[in-house]
Amino acid sequence: MGRKLTFEIFRYNPKDPKSVPHTDGFQLEETDSMTLFIALARIREEQDPSLQFDFCCRAGICGSCAMVINGRPGLACKTLTRELPERIILMPLPVFKLIGDLSVDTGTWFRAMNEKVGSWIHTDKAFDPAAQEERMENAVAEEIYELERCVECGCCVAACGTANMREDFVGAVALNRIARFMLDPRDSRTEKEYFDVIGTDEGIFGCMGLLACEDVCPKNLPLQDQLGILRRKMGWTALKNLFSFKRT
Amino acid sequence: MAIDTTVFVRERTGLAAYLDWLQALTGTGLILFMWSHMVLVASVNLGAGAMNTIARFFEDTYMAQVGGPLIGITFLLHFVLAARKVPFRSEQQSVIWKHGRLLRHTDTWLWLVQVVTAMIILIMGSIHMWTVLTDLPITAAKSAARVQGGFWLVFYLILLPMVELHVGIGFYRIGVKWGFIKRKDRKGMKRFENILTAIFIAIGLITIVRFLTLTI
Ligand code: HEM
Ligand code: SF4
Ligand code: SF4
Ligand code: FES
Repeated sequence: MGRKLTFEIFRYNPKDPKSVPHTDGFQLEETDSMTLFIALARIREEQDPSLQFDFCCRAGICGSCAMVINGRPGLACKTLTRELPERIILMPLPVFKLIGDLSVDTGTWFRAMNEKVGSWIHTDKAFDPAAQEERMENAVAEEIYELERCVECGCCVAACGTANMREDFVGAVALNRIARFMLDPRDSRTEKEYFDVIGTDEGIFGCMGLLACEDVCPKNLPLQDQLGILRRKMGWTALKNLFSFKRT
Repeated sequence: MAIDTTVFVRERTGLAAYLDWLQALTGTGLILFMWSHMVLVASVNLGAGAMNTIARFFEDTYMAQVGGPLIGITFLLHFVLAARKVPFRSEQQSVIWKHGRLLRHTDTWLWLVQVVTAMIILIMGSIHMWTVLTDLPITAAKSAARVQGGFWLVFYLILLPMVELHVGIGFYRIGVKWGFIKRKDRKGMKRFENILTAIFIAIGLITIVRFLTLTI
């Protein structure tokens, strides 16, 4: 016999004028290796077909199932119910736009963020489809890959006190993204150009070092270390250009 | 509103970086000052003579007369810089408060402690500095008289833990913000910082008791 789990789930449908934000309770018997995905799917199947939540890969890869689990942002498909107490409170991620119940629109936010920080390789080189791909040192490739593992789930943004207070703050995910392009030899952006993107209070200097991003990232990205590196790098860039920022 | 209506290219400026440097530097300066300050005041535990000698030295070399106001200016500058990050709007306050309670995350709480202690230090620290610097020279007897009066005893019993908490957390925060404390060192550094804070509060309390029992 598994434990009897009690789910308290935030319910609200912004599209329905009659809907008011409230919490619904559900009971479920725990099964072996039950994840929150399995639990939610069973609740929808057996108890309330109107329950809204997002899933796709069920393997911690697509990043669509992030929600606030007993206060902490995390991926529902990666969270085993046996790691949680019997009472499980689920809420949608803050900061992002609510679609309904546990489902939020992270896509619009991430698209805007990626455009804002120029999240692609900037180069003037013409692409030659016949040429061999440029080689890169293995160590560099591995370093880039480590930062590239981000699944854009939004947990780091939802957990960040700064991002919750200030909607212009780009969040750890964007700063990590820039750190990734800085490592990439194919990106031709100069230090000053990177500075224009993140050397502001919306960028690295807005971060207050609360490190909730570091502590919740389900992919365990090295956010703390990257934020530290970026602050130092951008800090030096500013000092080196103390008298010449306006020009060039 | 967060609708992107900007059509011009933002001016290139390093302002945010310079202000952040200044914030860290004034913070570091104040930490160093607070440590020296503790050595100066705690010297009374070695006897009133020791404290008087050190205080005399600082006044004879005019370090107290010049350094005191300089620390005062650094203190105010640090406040103005850090205030950029303090949630003064009630809307932000309610967001961060709810966020903190929901997340139950130590470092987020530590930041809130830093903000709250900061406001108390701003007021009490100013009063303390004014009182001491307008009543030079500093002597063990005068300090003891103040503490034994009762009002200043309560005052210092509040100010001491506020400052030590703020300094301790500030030290740790500069470390993580600027990347001196790496992921693997974080736990150890936090422990180190907690112990350091506890030691400083303990020395401070012993010193206050010493002033209480000093016969003038
Ligand atoms: C006027 C009173 C003070 C106020 C209002 C104040 C305010 C603040 C605030 C709000 C922060 C957090 C800033 C952030 O997270 O970005 C901070 C950081 C800090 N404070 Fe203070 N503070 C005061 C006095 C002091 C004193 C007396 C010391 C040292 C003895 C000190 C040392 C620090 C340090 C080291 C930091 C970390 C700096 C950083 O994050 O860059 N502060 N202060
Ligand atoms: S360190 Fe804190 S303030 Fe900075 S991005 Fe992470 S959660 Fe936000
Ligand atoms: S950095 Fe981590 S928490 Fe943030 S979006 Fe990427 S995977 Fe999610
Ligand atoms: S469903 Fe893809 S990460 Fe959870």
